Amino acid sequence: MLKRHIGWWLALPATLLVVLFLVLPVAGTIGSTFGEGAGPFAPYVNFFSSGFRRRVLWRTLEISLATTAISLLLGFLTAYVVSRAPRNLKSILIIAAVFPLLTGVVVRSFAWLIILGKNGILNNLLLAIGVTDEPFAMLYTQGSVIVAMVYLFTPLMILTLVGVLENIPDDLIQASASLGASPGSTFRQVVFPLAVPGLIVGAVLVFTGSFTSYATPQLLGGEKQMVMGTLMYQQAMVNFDWISASTIATIMVVITIAIVLLMTRVAKRLNPMAT
Amino acid sequence: MTQPLSVRNVTAHYGTTKVLEDLSLDVAEGELVSLLGASGCGKTTTLRLIAGFLEPTSGTITLGGRDLTRLPAYKRDIGLVFQNYALFPHLTVLENVAFGLKQRGIAGPEREKRARAMLERVGLAPLADRLPGALSGGQKQRVALARALVIEPPLLMFDEPLSNLDAKLRIDMRVEIRQLQRANRTTAVYVTHDQEEAFSISDRVAIMNAGRIMQFDTPETLYQRPANSFVARFVGFENLIPMKVVARDGANVTAETAGGARLAMSGERFGEIPDGFIFASRADGLRVVPGTGEGIPATTGLRTYLGRAYQYQCDTAAGPIVANGALSEPLEPGSTATLVPVPDQCCVLKAE
Amino acid sequence: MATRIPLPLILLTVAVYIFLVGPLIIILGAAVSDTTYLTFPPQGFTLHWFQRIFEIGAFRRTIVTSLQLACLATALALVIGIPAAYALNRYRIQLPTWLSTVFVLPILVPEIVLGFSLLKSVAVGASLPIFPTLLIGHTLLVLPYAVRVISASLASFDFSIEEAAISLGSPPSRTFFTIVLPNVRSGVIAAFILAFITSINDVSTSLFLTGPGISTLPIQILAHVEQFFDPVIASVSVLLMLLTVAVMAIVERTLGLTFLTK
Repeated sequence: MLKRHIGWWLALPATLLVVLFLVLPVAGTIGSTFGEGAGPFAPYVNFFSSGFRRRVLWRTLEISLATTAISLLLGFLTAYVVSRAPRNLKSILIIAAVFPLLTGVVVRSFAWLIILGKNGILNNLLLAIGVTDEPFAMLYTQGSVIVAMVYLFTPLMILTLVGVLENIPDDLIQASASLGASPGSTFRQVVFPLAVPGLIVGAVLVFTGSFTSYATPQLLGGEKQMVMGTLMYQQAMVNFDWISASTIATIMVVITIAIVLLMTRVAKRLNPMAT
Repeated sequence: MTQPLSVRNVTAHYGTTKVLEDLSLDVAEGELVSLLGASGCGKTTTLRLIAGFLEPTSGTITLGGRDLTRLPAYKRDIGLVFQNYALFPHLTVLENVAFGLKQRGIAGPEREKRARAMLERVGLAPLADRLPGALSGGQKQRVALARALVIEPPLLMFDEPLSNLDAKLRIDMRVEIRQLQRANRTTAVYVTHDQEEAFSISDRVAIMNAGRIMQFDTPETLYQRPANSFVARFVGFENLIPMKVVARDGANVTAETAGGARLAMSGERFGEIPDGFIFASRADGLRVVPGTGEGIPATTGLRTYLGRAYQYQCDTAAGPIVANGALSEPLEPGSTATLVPVPDQCCVLKAE
Repeated sequence: MATRIPLPLILLTVAVYIFLVGPLIIILGAAVSDTTYLTFPPQGFTLHWFQRIFEIGAFRRTIVTSLQLACLATALALVIGIPAAYALNRYRIQLPTWLSTVFVLPILVPEIVLGFSLLKSVAVGASLPIFPTLLIGHTLLVLPYAVRVISASLASFDFSIEEAAISLGSPPSRTFFTIVLPNVRSGVIAAFILAFITSINDVSTSLFLTGPGISTLPIQILAHVEQFFDPVIASVSVLLMLLTVAVMAIVERTLGLTFLTK
């Protein structure tokens, strides 16, 4: 009995933990939003009828998309250079990307408070070189949140993509050169298409991470730039409106899972190495 | 279209290690030359230098009089077939073959026409729209070949192209490669560690060791007249016996082994024989004859059955020797025998 | 092969790295500034702000809580995650395919949703005290590292080695510790480190599970920043960065850093 099901027994504790404390509670959160109030979808009707909340959802999408696009571009180009760098330099560059990644979200967001604040480094610098007479209000804008988020996610993108680029065999690049393709053509016709699945994976990581973030928008956006994460916290812990918080949670879960499923499918279809 | 290749006094380093030393190699128009040697002998390095993926420390490489030495790889116009095929996994078979034509600015319809024609020649026309991942090893190899041939390069190079295929396919493919190369009369350089493959496919073979060419000749000459003991061992001369000339009669000599066994050697067969030399033979080149007589006295040891003969591990005063004996007279271990040279199967090498 | 990289790309890379490392240097500078407000470049030099961390009770308590949580959650995740990873690889045919999906869920479900759901169902619903609830949350958070990273190691492990050991008379349970585990050592270390770092830096899961009585360091930092804008925050941040440096030194020693790009 035990012997035949040994695999099950070994996997049981971890499976139980996930089912009991993740699946059931999250299902409970999602379930609590249905059949609440008038009509089965009342909390959602409520959410989408509020101009403010629509604005929050929209802003969160904007910030996440901008963060994804910028860190994708910076990350890919940087990763390309890193992957082609001589070995010693490469390990230094990788360490320099890993270090911020392992430093906490709060610490890294906090750094931008010092930089972008009214008496911050950037304003002092601009005042000193005479670009402006008045400090700019850079904090608590959509821009400040995006800058900090890009800062947060670019290292992740670089590391993901260095891995992807290093998996492209050198032989393919040499084959391309031997057939007469210049380095530019090789990049466009061989390296980039082969990196697309990796780019999609990186983009999904960054998008879902930004979409559900809390600390960075809280520190750099505050109440002025409320996003889904901060709104959810406010609903749950300030207004004690748990149905509203659960509704926001459900929207986050649905969007996250939909994007992950959709994009991993797209990435799989575009991945020629898999077939 | 075909052009002669000339590699002149090339030295190359990986970091500080010297991997090629003063290497020169000439490949005539339309000739197929193999670089043969164990891994680390510098054959692949030579190929990469010619292809432009490595820069030589000194020396020059010219193709049809055009100096390639400092030219980037993508401007060299050399068709390259890789060991693991290096097909672009995101492009179809047709697109793979058309890739080089596209880089040469050949318009779409013409490009497709030429690529399809080339696929026809290698027998893969029906698979034109597949992705490489869906092909077998042999099919991939054909695509790689078509891709390199379609650009009609003045020089074609192969880097161990058959090492990932099974034995039967390997033989079919090497015939096919030879036929295509012959038909186009393309100059070709072929890198392999497989002696049979190199000898069967090449006009000439360069046997390499430690970054140098040990001998560069036709397969027949290499097989029968190795120039030195390295090549002799490489082509299967098991017995390398140091000898000293003790008497001369015109061109003919009598020579003696370390243990005092004497052999008469004909100048007609072996040419001019120096005072000290190495007598080289395969197991076939020494016949095991029971009893004592003219030749090298030996005691037979382990006997193995080869089908056409018995092979004996023999003990002699000159050291252990491998030799073959007739099937009609199997000898038990410990028998007294004489090893008689078969002059056609032996050769004389300079002592080192 | 050295492909030449165009100059604009190199300049961009330099700029990106200044962007990545600059803010951390600014924190370092601000932490040693002899001023009562956050500023960079530092004015004067003092280590006073590091001392100040430990004078504030909330920081002392949360540092202890965070370390306890990270150690316990990582240990727990490894203890249940290693057998699960082993089962998923060794008994693949026995187990249904959805089982491996279970261990992706903690990554798929947003952390903030996990935290909120635990608050609702476990802390309030089942009235479990805060610390155990936090521990459950953190264990769930880091479990995917244990399962997936070690699975990746096991995937390249040749199980016939294990069978060889058993055929030579080593009982299966002992074989696991003497043969299997040593061969996936690097995976276990990697999982340990990633899990520890993730736990110690977590905000989103802990957010709902802390209160005046009990809190974690990142949450405390967040609360402190909103009230005071003094160099203590910078010095706490430096402390966390030092922890990261220590961890990276361990990685470098034991695994080399390239494993991080895999």
